[in-house]
Amino acid sequence: MAVAVPPPERLDRLERVWLPRPGVLGWLTTVDHKRIGLLYFWTTLVFFGAGGVEALLLRTQLARADAHLVGPETFDQLLTMHGVTMIFFFIIPMTTGAFGNYLLPLMIGARDMAFPRLNALSYWIFLGAGLFLYSSMFVHAAPNAGWFDYVPLALRQYDRGLNVDYYALALIFVGISSTMGALNLIVTTFRLRAPGMSMNRMPLFCFAQLAAALALVFALPALTADCIFLELQRKAGFHFFDVAHGGDPLLWQHLFWIFGHPEVYIIVLPAFGIATSIIPTFARRRMIAFPLVAMAELLVAFIGFGVWAHHMFSTGLSTATLVFFAAASMMVVIPSTIQVFAWLFTVNIGTPVFRAPLLFIGGFIAFFVLGGLSGIMFAAIPFDQALTDTYFVVAHFHFIIFGAAVFPIFGGMYYWFPKVTGRMYHERIAQASFWVTFAGTMLTFFPMHIVGLLGMTRRVYTYEPGLGWDVYNLLETVGGFVLAIGLLMIFANLAWSGLRGAPAGPDPFYGGTLEWTIPSPPPHYNFALIPTVTSPYPNWDSRERLADREAFARGVGVLDAGHETPVSTVADGMLDDVATMPAESGWPPLLAVAVTVGFGLLLTSHYATACASFALAVLCLVAWHAHEPEES
Amino acid sequence: MSAHDASVRVVRAGEAARPNGWWGMAIFVASEATLFGTLVGTYLYLRGQAHHWPPAGVPRPALLAPLGLTTLLVLTALPLVLAAGWARQAKRGPAWRALGLATVLQIGYLGLQLHELSTQIAQFSPRASSYASMYFTLLVVAHLHVLVGVALNLWLLARLARGLTRYRVVGLRATVFYWLAVDVITVVVVAVQLSPRL
Amino acid sequence: MTRVPAHRAASVGLAAATAVLLAGCGGSQDTLDPGGRPESKIAHLFWVMLAGAGIGFAVVVGLLLLGWWRRDRADLPGGGGERAALRLVVGLGVVVPIVVLVALFVWADFFVARVTNAPAASSTSLTVHVTGHDWWWGVRYRGSSAVTANEIHIPTHTRVDLIATTEDVIHSFWVPELNRKIDMIPGRSNHILLEADHPGRFRGQCSEFCGLQHAHMALVVVAQPPQTFRAWLAKLAQPAAGGSGGAGAEVFARDCASCHAIRGTAADGNVGPDLTHLATRRTLGAITIRNDPDHLRRWIRDSQAYKPGNLMPSFPLGSRDLDALVAYLGSLD
Ligand code: HEA
Ligand code: HEA
Ligand code: HEC
Ligand code: CUA
Ligand SMILES: [Cu+2]
Repeated sequence: MAVAVPPPERLDRLERVWLPRPGVLGWLTTVDHKRIGLLYFWTTLVFFGAGGVEALLLRTQLARADAHLVGPETFDQLLTMHGVTMIFFFIIPMTTGAFGNYLLPLMIGARDMAFPRLNALSYWIFLGAGLFLYSSMFVHAAPNAGWFDYVPLALRQYDRGLNVDYYALALIFVGISSTMGALNLIVTTFRLRAPGMSMNRMPLFCFAQLAAALALVFALPALTADCIFLELQRKAGFHFFDVAHGGDPLLWQHLFWIFGHPEVYIIVLPAFGIATSIIPTFARRRMIAFPLVAMAELLVAFIGFGVWAHHMFSTGLSTATLVFFAAASMMVVIPSTIQVFAWLFTVNIGTPVFRAPLLFIGGFIAFFVLGGLSGIMFAAIPFDQALTDTYFVVAHFHFIIFGAAVFPIFGGMYYWFPKVTGRMYHERIAQASFWVTFAGTMLTFFPMHIVGLLGMTRRVYTYEPGLGWDVYNLLETVGGFVLAIGLLMIFANLAWSGLRGAPAGPDPFYGGTLEWTIPSPPPHYNFALIPTVTSPYPNWDSRERLADREAFARGVGVLDAGHETPVSTVADGMLDDVATMPAESGWPPLLAVAVTVGFGLLLTSHYATACASFALAVLCLVAWHAHEPEES
Repeated sequence: MSAHDASVRVVRAGEAARPNGWWGMAIFVASEATLFGTLVGTYLYLRGQAHHWPPAGVPRPALLAPLGLTTLLVLTALPLVLAAGWARQAKRGPAWRALGLATVLQIGYLGLQLHELSTQIAQFSPRASSYASMYFTLLVVAHLHVLVGVALNLWLLARLARGLTRYRVVGLRATVFYWLAVDVITVVVVAVQLSPRL
Repeated sequence: MTRVPAHRAASVGLAAATAVLLAGCGGSQDTLDPGGRPESKIAHLFWVMLAGAGIGFAVVVGLLLLGWWRRDRADLPGGGGERAALRLVVGLGVVVPIVVLVALFVWADFFVARVTNAPAASSTSLTVHVTGHDWWWGVRYRGSSAVTANEIHIPTHTRVDLIATTEDVIHSFWVPELNRKIDMIPGRSNHILLEADHPGRFRGQCSEFCGLQHAHMALVVVAQPPQTFRAWLAKLAQPAAGGSGGAGAEVFARDCASCHAIRGTAADGNVGPDLTHLATRRTLGAITIRNDPDHLRRWIRDSQAYKPGNLMPSFPLGSRDLDALVAYLGSLD
């Protein structure tokens, strides 16, 4: 090992070893988790914009009774695309793809994800799936049967165009990406933690990511199978869902929600993770009830698999079934209440500074509780049977998704902005943007409870006046635009600060986790020396950090012989191995192109050429694996 | 600073711990097993809805061929496990030959299964009923997994022919793990396939 | 897509105007203004849950504000430290919710649900069979030959067993002021209890997304005193009254009979609603427009303007045919 080399030269060497290719080619062939995280970030932001514009169009149409801005067909497409985009192309890739990818290795002291090329592939597949889905907009055949796409409405008999084929294939397609991403996150948290970071010293953010990734791996197959059945029925004349041939329309619903409910916790878990990162930093103390919170995060992902039929309370299932799922739905609340009070009392017992990130987390807690409480109401069977499929549901899930899953994303954007860009955001404007967004969210989604109670059903492209719904709908629409202004303030602040912000330094907030021990923006190799961890908040262990620096000066634990990162044992985080990471590769994007073309051909029923295209993808795989990391 | 010192005398892969590649495969297998769980669950669900299973006019599945073939497939686990063990001991020749043997058997299995499938499709179409749709979907997905395994084996054979590297050993260990999972899955699938006979 | 062409804009505008008038004959859909026992139980459940939610929300927001208020003090109000905080987390995060949730679970899912659940066999004295269609409701009464659509009459103070089925995709039957909703699913017949404790018109709406005109798939439940109801049912069971016909009947036989039935005539189509007693209904197109000669005329000529995508083609009939047809339909009392 490089014991004799003095520190500056060691840094130089690391820099040379990890230097990416310059220019666009560097981004196309990158395997750096930070670059891939940024690619995810920008792409999901664009999808968020698309989903948001769709939402604003919906809201404009619904601003008053009997409006004719768009016809029913367009409305149905906008509605479905809004739901599908936000769930599958914004929030999951944003939380796991962007935040998980960028931050997880930094928090556990790794130099990359466990499978860097797979990581690149999951991004390119995601991009391909998104382009595939959005190409439907240009032929005016976007999915139109709602985001849960119930059969028989989604069968060829009632929906003849390509709309639903786009839906089913796009979800299978993006599912491949999410599975690969989740697999990568799991193995990374299992194996790439810095020496000494045993499971119980892992930051709560990583627990949340791990729980979400595990849930993804076990939830997605149900959706994939469901979509495969649907395509086999639509395109090949198989029978899974039609009664006449022994199928059952409820089969679709069961499989969809077996995926769909774990999915909602997949959505919110990374947000919990962000909250548990921001709160200790600004409350300036450790999370209280740390093990309880870690357990709660894993538990919620687990119990979430046993509640799916609460989305089917009014389908006429047997009473025993309903009661079982109602009980489970009540049970799944407990891990959430534990976390809420752990956050609240950490803030209370700490000495919090209410800067923008913490404000967003405050908003998150309020909205999460609001949405969670209406969730409990839905777990009461008779109430659900009355209010299901009304705007009360829309209110529930927007509070808990937009309020509770997206607010921490904004908080997180501010919080890690200095880390990613090396510059500070503008605090005053950030705080103002919080209040505007907060007010907009309340105004948009709160009246939905009331119109729901007044009997307004969801997914109506228009409604008649005189039912008492008009005023509330108008308020919601106004709220939607206020919200949009708040969002633009956030993005404007970040864009401007990215260019002009004051330099931030490595650790502007004195955060507790490892990402704050390294320069901002992080060097390509993340950690010049691999830290040894003795607590969940290693950045606050000043003695250990000092020891790290001394060790670095002596040349211990630098790992600069190649693309190397340490590998630890799963439970105890004992150093186990040094992994050689693969270098950049052009094969993942090429493979994704072949797969995308393949899906396009499947869509248009060119099965032979589709097979050829997938065969090309396999060839890309062969070529990719011909290059072994140790050779470079 | 014991951990830092330990980095100097790093444990080399292949020995005690399971490499990352193995873990990746384990997660992948978990996801595939869930997929099969969903398929099997759907089969049972549809069966629960039906009055006659298989529906009138559809032959009950034959016993002999599926049972025999499955036994064959499960037996290939033996040379595979041996191959992984030899590869870890850097015995390239024996590992290659064991892997080759397994691959030949597996290709035979796949060929016979596809033959079975095509004769059955001639008897009852997957478009006839939910039973037929589910039956063929389940089998085809299972066979696809064998096909993927065979492809992995062929690739490994090609790579191992040119020498052993750590990367290839990890690849072999992961692939063998994959096969063990496919064996278990196949047993479950066959049990489900034959369940109307029970 | 189905855009409304410019020349239809006028009729669309009119539709909007009439819709205002229509609201009066549809009734409202306020879940908190119950018209019968089941819904009043649900409303009660809601108010209690709302009170509980209010307290829970206040506690959480209160703690947030407290955190802000005491932001410079690193302890709890009583001076407690980390131990006390941990105990509070367990108490408020585990113990209290378990107590609250168990209570809610038992009350809602056993006691309230008993009232709102599908009625037990033979606990009812009237059975109505409602079938969902794209995008209207077919209505039959057990033990009667009466057939109607979209407007369901029931007697007050009577437990009615409603059987919900579908002809095509999934719909969901919901009359917010009377009871919970129930999905109509191919291959299944689901039951729901209807019970009105005062006469009135209770509006309802399809609440499972069923395609283009999901928004215009409403219905009305007309609760009447039992004698009035019996008279109504007896009348509906009769074949068409003004059925002698004339020119209008001929047009109907030519253009409409393939889809619509008028009992007592040769028309026996079953694609669209039964029109035997059309004139007794107050609305057309599943509560989309008022049933008067003007609207009926426009509906026949251009139903697509009111309900774009609905399954009845527009019939650009000559005005003589149209007059005769409207007069004929108007006579179907
Ligand atoms: C991020 C996503 C997310 C999350 C986290 C949740 C969380 C919960 N959800 Fe929600 N839900 C959705 C997203 C989400 N949901 C979506 C998208 C739909 C609709 C899908 C569609 O139809 O399109 C839906 C629909 C939905 C339904 C079906 C409604 C219907 O269509 O009929 C139900 C029914 O039980 C339900 C229940 C719950 C419950 C009990 C929780 C619980 O986990 C909530 C737990 C949290 C709390 C309770 C907050 C903490 C409260 C306190 C600390 C206060 C003190 C509390 C007590 C004393 C009890 N949800
Ligand atoms: C992550 C999930 C998510 C998110 C964030 C949102 C966000 C919003 N949603 Fe919704 N929504 C769903 C998931 C989500 N939604 C789902 C699953 C459904 C059900 C669909 C179905 O029934 O099938 C639904 C349905 C739904 C409906 C019901 C329609 C109906 O039933 O008829 C409505 C109506 O108001 C609505 C509104 C909104 C609004 C106003 C926002 C706002 O919060 C949006 C705010 C965003 C913007 C205004 C965009 C601004 C962004 C930019 C400007 C970015 C700039 C770009 C760059 C810098 C590159 N949504
Ligand atoms: C192709 C089938 C078809 C034909 C032909 C047809 N209709 Fe219809 N009709 C329907 C359907 C379907 C509806 C229900 C529309 C809806 O509300 O969505 C309907 C609804 C109606 C209604 C409203 C009934 C109610 O109670 O809401 C009237 C009145 C009507 N049709 C009259 C006519 C007349 C008159 C003709 C002939 C000139 C005719 N229909 C021809 C299918 C048809
Ligand atoms: Cu019928 Cu919605
Ligand atoms: Cu759910």
